[in-house]
Order: sequence, then structure tokens, then C-alpha cells
Amino acid sequence: MYNEKDINEQIAWAKINADVLRSMENPRKSYWVAIVICILMIACAVFAEYIQYTVGMGPSNLNNPHMWDMYIATFVFWIGMSHSGTLLSAILHLIHADWRKPIYRFAEAMTTFSLMTAGIFPIIHLGRVWNMYWVLPYVSDRGLWPNFRSPLVWDAFAISTYLSASMLFLFIGMIPDLAICRDNARGWRKKLYTVLSLGWSGNDRQWRNFRKIYLLMACFLIPLAVSVHSIVSADFAMSIMPGWHVTTFPPYFVAGALYSGCAAIITLFVLLRYFFRFEEYMTLPIMEKTAKLTFAIAMVWTYLNLIEFSSVWYGHDIYNKELLIDKATGAYAWVFWTMLFCGSVVPFALAFQKLRRHMPTMFVVSLLLNVGMFFERWMIVAPTLSMSHSPHQWDVMWGSIVEWAIVFGSLGWFGLLFLIFVKVFPSVSMYEVKEMVFHRQRHLVNEDAATKFHRRSDDKTTTGEPGLEGA
Amino acid sequence: MSLDNLLSNWSQYRKGHEEGGFHDYEHRWGMAIDLDICTGCNACSTACYAENNLAVVGPERFEKGQAMHWLRVERYWDQSELDHPEQGASFLPMMCQQCNAATCEPVCPVAATYHTPDGLNAQIYNRCIGSRYCSNNCPFRVRYFNFYSYYESSWPEPLNMQLNPDITVRDKGVMEKCTYCVQRIRSAKNKAKMEDRKLEDGEFTTACAQACPTNAIVFGDWQDENSQVAKLWKKHEVTRAVTKQNKDNPEKRGYRIFEELNIDPSVMYLERVREKV
Amino acid sequence: MSKHCVMGLFSDFDEAFAAISDIRKTKIPGVSVDDVTLKSPIEHPEIEEVLGERPVHLQKFTLFGAIFGVTFGFFFLAAAQASFLVQPQGGKPVVALPSNFVLMYEMLIFFAVWGTFLAFLFLSGLLRKRHSLYSENVSLDQVGILIDVDDSNLERVKDLFKQHKAVEIREEEIR
Repeated sequence: MYNEKDINEQIAWAKINADVLRSMENPRKSYWVAIVICILMIACAVFAEYIQYTVGMGPSNLNNPHMWDMYIATFVFWIGMSHSGTLLSAILHLIHADWRKPIYRFAEAMTTFSLMTAGIFPIIHLGRVWNMYWVLPYVSDRGLWPNFRSPLVWDAFAISTYLSASMLFLFIGMIPDLAICRDNARGWRKKLYTVLSLGWSGNDRQWRNFRKIYLLMACFLIPLAVSVHSIVSADFAMSIMPGWHVTTFPPYFVAGALYSGCAAIITLFVLLRYFFRFEEYMTLPIMEKTAKLTFAIAMVWTYLNLIEFSSVWYGHDIYNKELLIDKATGAYAWVFWTMLFCGSVVPFALAFQKLRRHMPTMFVVSLLLNVGMFFERWMIVAPTLSMSHSPHQWDVMWGSIVEWAIVFGSLGWFGLLFLIFVKVFPSVSMYEVKEMVFHRQRHLVNEDAATKFHRRSDDKTTTGEPGLEGA
Repeated sequence: MSLDNLLSNWSQYRKGHEEGGFHDYEHRWGMAIDLDICTGCNACSTACYAENNLAVVGPERFEKGQAMHWLRVERYWDQSELDHPEQGASFLPMMCQQCNAATCEPVCPVAATYHTPDGLNAQIYNRCIGSRYCSNNCPFRVRYFNFYSYYESSWPEPLNMQLNPDITVRDKGVMEKCTYCVQRIRSAKNKAKMEDRKLEDGEFTTACAQACPTNAIVFGDWQDENSQVAKLWKKHEVTRAVTKQNKDNPEKRGYRIFEELNIDPSVMYLERVREKV
Repeated sequence: MSKHCVMGLFSDFDEAFAAISDIRKTKIPGVSVDDVTLKSPIEHPEIEEVLGERPVHLQKFTLFGAIFGVTFGFFFLAAAQASFLVQPQGGKPVVALPSNFVLMYEMLIFFAVWGTFLAFLFLSGLLRKRHSLYSENVSLDQVGILIDVDDSNLERVKDLFKQHKAVEIREEEIR
């Protein structure tokens, strides 16, 4: 029905530069409003954390069975969000899917920033925040080490590895673009980009090494991203609690992570396309591909959910079964059913081409998917604590305003980082869009030549249009 | 040097609790609690509050589940499967079970909780950073977290004079739990050492066992064959390091809670006896 | 004999590549394709055919980083555990291999990634002053061919560039 190309090959390279560089300049009024809103949100969280810091963990309503709650759920949520950008970018790079090129930059930035948001939560949730560095393996006079058996220490290792690797991946991919910025900027930006572009001059030696490092980083990031979320799932799966001690947790978490990340990519796609008028780069066919991918992952996630439910149901483990029934009918039932609705029913909207091409719908759908994924994390943490082995300690707890303020503020923190990013760094990769255009043009020329050759050799055949679908 | 240490002790360092673990135990403190003679009077819990400087949190925080009772007496009414459910509540004094393969220990990121050569599951308040993972992984939920600086309001003058000087008062942000009155264990051990003799059974006991009016709680060294607690374990055919007690005689009432989770608790409970119709 | 550095800028990529292959074929004495530096706004895997194989050693550093990470990881973790004997916990051995494997895996990737990055900075000649014949058009849409030649060959190279429709030719004396 719709037969457009991922990108218009005839687009002038100077226009690519100009369009992207324009997006980094002269913020509109709405930009400043957004910045102020984000700062206010962060202020809420800082105030709540100040209370918690001075008074103790009590004001967050945490109690004896509910030692973890929204902080850990939000931590898992943000970690999950961080998975799509880098992982998808790396996978699509390895399989030479060049439609990733216009959208991977902001997706990777999203990865880095949501990781930076996620990293705050294990720190916030500590009872004695000021001692958080004890988790790190540093050589101390007293011969003390962290406990390497603890999944929380694995988290510290995995997150620092993932954060540095995904930041490097983002940064390396941006070096040629930073050189473009350097060549076009003035004032403080010129100084900034001169430093950041590390003296990139685009010579063949740099490009050769660049190609290699990009490939190597992509190869490392895929297993790394999978391991990071598996390790996050180990926080739960390595315990003995019903509903946590689940063998399918690592793939379930990875699928959930990809899912919420893809949904977030769609959200940001719509926003950037609208505000920066990136219609020529973030095209509808690319949106369609992303949406299809999200739909596929949604189905994987749904499948893993069903597997978990049925294996609990037929497993006849009394604790797990009681817990499952409680999830569906108990105090948290509304969260549970909203999660299933948003996570498994709403994505069917992505199956319709009409809806996939309608930006406002996609925006709402992607937000709903992420609401579902947030509730999924909540459903992982809270019900198990409310109904574990000892019936005397069964309890339902709802977080207080302090807890929710910190969760709410984390959105502002992520938003602020992202807003700063889009004005300081190019959110569409200029050099890679050029590559995409260049190679597709080549492809077209070759196709044309082939078609002509075909015609000449056999006059009777009337060939159809040359294939416009790219890789 | 550390590499040397690593290589020469490698096989020792690779031993799990099934093969006796890294070190030999000096003592293995254990308990036996006879639910049949427990009256649910809460004297044990009160004694624990007094002995261990437990904070009194007030009704609101208690309601929120932020209480600090290291030893709680659990009450269960719903026993419809029994012949005489109307006989009232059954009581279960619940404190840290000092599991031999404690699930709380390996999850602590900073090794603030560990296993002592006494077979105790110890908590190092100074090292605790309050990640609360241990509590989440405890099937008994007997670890208590200092959600506030309870000491500020718990003992208004002159009540602070009643605090036990042998142990600390904990500040906000650390986990705490039953220690089997480790301060009593330590001073008794020191005394025996000074007098150059072995620690005798019954020389000291925990506050809860001391306070129990019906002697339902028996505390002692499980490793010492002549101790009362070891005899009780033997009498009721309860063994360690198993996930199920194999016995068919209903007279042998001993069991350990959640032992099927392979956590090897150190507290044996004796089932309540109900007359049959 | 004094030398010059010449840079030709081309907006037609095919012409630029043809110029390089001419340099390769015509054998202007003292001018070899190995002296050619290609500056380009995008990456050209296909250029290696004309430019000749130029080796990349980056992956060796990755391998080194990975091997270092995993062995260092093992000894670091095991030694730390063996010197921290308060650790026997939950009935687990002092040196708990399953959890150490997880951490070794992370350390493998950590060191491999950083090793690769640092080697990249070094091997691709970043963190240095740019060549004085840098043109901002290279970051836009033109390809530059940079070559060091003896003065005797200067004109021939410039002619070659002109033949291939060079948009601009810059030169500089090398002292």
C-alpha cells in the first residue's frame, strides 16, 4: 500500500548538515519550559530524598516484609529502558540494517541517560547512603572486601561496565559528527567540540580504525547488554522467595527490557520528529520497522509471561501458586491486570499499518506500553514481599508520597539530561545518514544499470520499477 | 603472598557446608522450643526488648510494620483442619533461626552478615549499608531494619538508664536481628576462659529462655552431647543438614520451620499436642 | 630537496577514487599510493581496493584486554576472597566459583572495551593537532586526497588532480 523509501536518496549532504545543526541551535520557548518542568520535578525528588536522608527510610512507608519497593522497581524499569538503544543499535549494525542510522543516536543517548537514572536508585534505596562505596572492590587497610557472592555487587560491576561501554559506544559513534559541529560552530561550542572531536580529520587511517572499533564495540555490547539485565534479574532469581526464584527470569527481564526500550524509542522518535521537524530522516517507514520490532518483542514478552504463569500453575509449589492467585485477585490485582492489558493487548495496535503511521496514536501507545512495563516491575517486587513464606508477615503496603516523589523526579532527571543532549549534541547521526544516502544511491544506480542491461538483452520484457526497498 | 595462600588452601576454600565448611565449629548454639507448653505470654519478647536495647516504636509505626521485636510471638487462629479449632490461638515464638546455610548471608553486598565459628548468623552493624537484601531473602522475615533513628524517641529520660551497657544502640539505616544474646555468650566464654575450664551447659542462657515461665525455650550448645538442647534434638529425632526429618513415630514432635528450603535452621520446634476426639 | 604537501578536494567521489588508482598505476617516480591519505566525510569500505590493504591492529588490543580482564578478574576475586575469611556465608565455599564467573565475564568485557578504546585513540592518530591542510568541506561532502611529494613531481600530481575535476587544490611546503 505504502511504497516509500526509508530515506530520500537525493537529499543534499549540505542539507543534512544544516538540518541537524539547526536542531541544536536557538531553543524555542517550549524548550525552556520543558527544562524548567524537569528541574522542578528533580527538586521534588531532592526534597523527598533530603527527608529520607535525614530521617531514615521510614517516611517512604517501607516496612518489615516490604523492604524493597518502588525504588527497586524503578531501578529495574530504567535499566530495562536502557537496553534497547545500545542493544538494538549494535544488533542492527551487525546485520547491516541501515535504517538504524537516522534513529540510533538518540536511542543510544536514551540508553546512557536511563542508565544514569537507574544507577541512582540502588544508591537512594540504601539505608546508609553515605557508605555506598563499600560495595566497590577497593583495597582497604582493614582488609575488607565486598561480598562477591551478592547479586548487588554483580549489579555494581555490570552497571559500571555497561555504563562505560555504552557511553563509549555513543561517544565513538559521535566523533565524526562532533568534527562536523566543530567545523561549523562558534564561541564556546567551538571550544567544546574541538576538545570532544579529539582532532578527527576524517582521514582513511581514522576511518579504518573507526570501522573496526565500532564493529568490536557492537560485538561486545550485545552479550554485555544481555548479561546486564540477566544480572539485574539475578537480584530476584538468586533469592529463594516465591515469585522471584524463577528460572525464566533472565530471558523474561531481557525481553521486558527490550520491550520498554523500544516503546521509549518510539516515544522519543515522535517527539524529535515533531519538534525538530526531522520528517526527512525519521521517516514513516523507519517508524513502521521500529513498531513491527516492538510488536514482535511484545509477543515474546507475552509468551514468557504465559510460560511463567503456567509453570507456576502446574508446578504445584504451594507458595508460588498462592502468590500467583493473589497477584490476580488480591490487593495488587488492578496493577496486575493493567500490566497485562498494557503489555499484551495494547501492542496489537502496532499490528495495524494505519495506526503505525499515525504519530499521535503511536505516541500514546508507546507511553501505555511503558506504563505496562513499569507496572510489570512493580508486580515483580511488591507481591512477593507481601506474600512470602511466612504467613504471619503477609502485608500489603502502598508507597508514600516521599517514595513516589523520588520516582517522579527520576523522570525529570532523565528528561533534563535528554533535553540538554539534544541541544548540545547532534541527535541524528549526520555522517551515517550520508553513508546511508550514498550507499542507497549507489544501489539505485546499479539497479538502473542492471535494468537497462536487462531491457537491452530482452526487448520484450517490460521490467517493473527498480526495487526501492533498501536493506 | 595472597596467591600462595590461595594455592595452598585451595581445597579448603572450596568446601561448602555439606563437607563441613571452611572451619570447624567451636560451638553450635541451638534452641528447642516446645509449643505445647508455650502459653503465648510474650515474656520472652519483653525480656528480649530489655536485654537487647530494642527500640519501642510506638503504635503508629508498629501498625505500619516498622516494629523492632527481634522475638515475636506469632498467633495463628485458622486451624480448621484440626479437630478442635475453637481451642484458641496457637502460638509460635519466632526469632532468627540462625540457619546454618542462611539465605541472608550470601546476598549481603558488603558481607555485613556472616557465619561465626559459633554457628551464629552474625550481623555487623558498622558494616551494614542498609540494602535490606538480607531481609528480603529471609523466609522467616525476622530481620528488622532501623527505619528511623529510633533511639531519639524510644527511651526518654530517665528510661535511657535502663539500657543494657553490654551492647550498642543502633542508628537509622542498619539491619538488626536476634543474636542469641551474643553478649551473654561472649561474657560466659570469656569467664570460662579466664577460669581455664570448658563452658558448661546451663551456665548461662538467653534472655528469652531465662524469662520463659514454662521453660518452653531451651538454649544450649548443640555440639555438646550432654547439653539439654542436644538431648532434646536427639529425643525427637531431629537431625541437621537435611531438608526433611524422616520419622514415623508421632510421639517425636520435633521439626524445623521451612527446612525444606535447605537452609538448615538451628531452632527445633516441638509440635503442639491436641487431644483427639 | 624541498617537499610539498598537496591536497586535492573532489566533490565527485568516483573521480577521486579514479585519481588514486591513477596514482597507483602511472607510477610517478617517488609517488606511491602508500603516501596517499584519503580524507572523507563518510566511511568507504570499498576504497581499500584502490588504496591498497592497510592493516588495522586494533583487534589485538581487544584480545589483550579481554584476556587480561578474565585472568586478572579470576585472581583478583579469588585472592580477595581468600584474604577475607569472614566470608564463609550461607554454607557456601570461601572462593565461590559460580559468582566469580559472572564477575569475570563482566571484567572481561570491561577491560576489552577500555583497551580497545585507548588503542583506538592511539592507533588512529587522534588527540593530535590536525594537519594544517584540513578543509572543512571534508566534513561536509567532499573527499580530499592528501599526498607528500617532491617538488619535481608537484606539477604532475596537481595536473592529475585537475584532470579528475578537483574542486580545489591546496599545497604547503614541508620544512
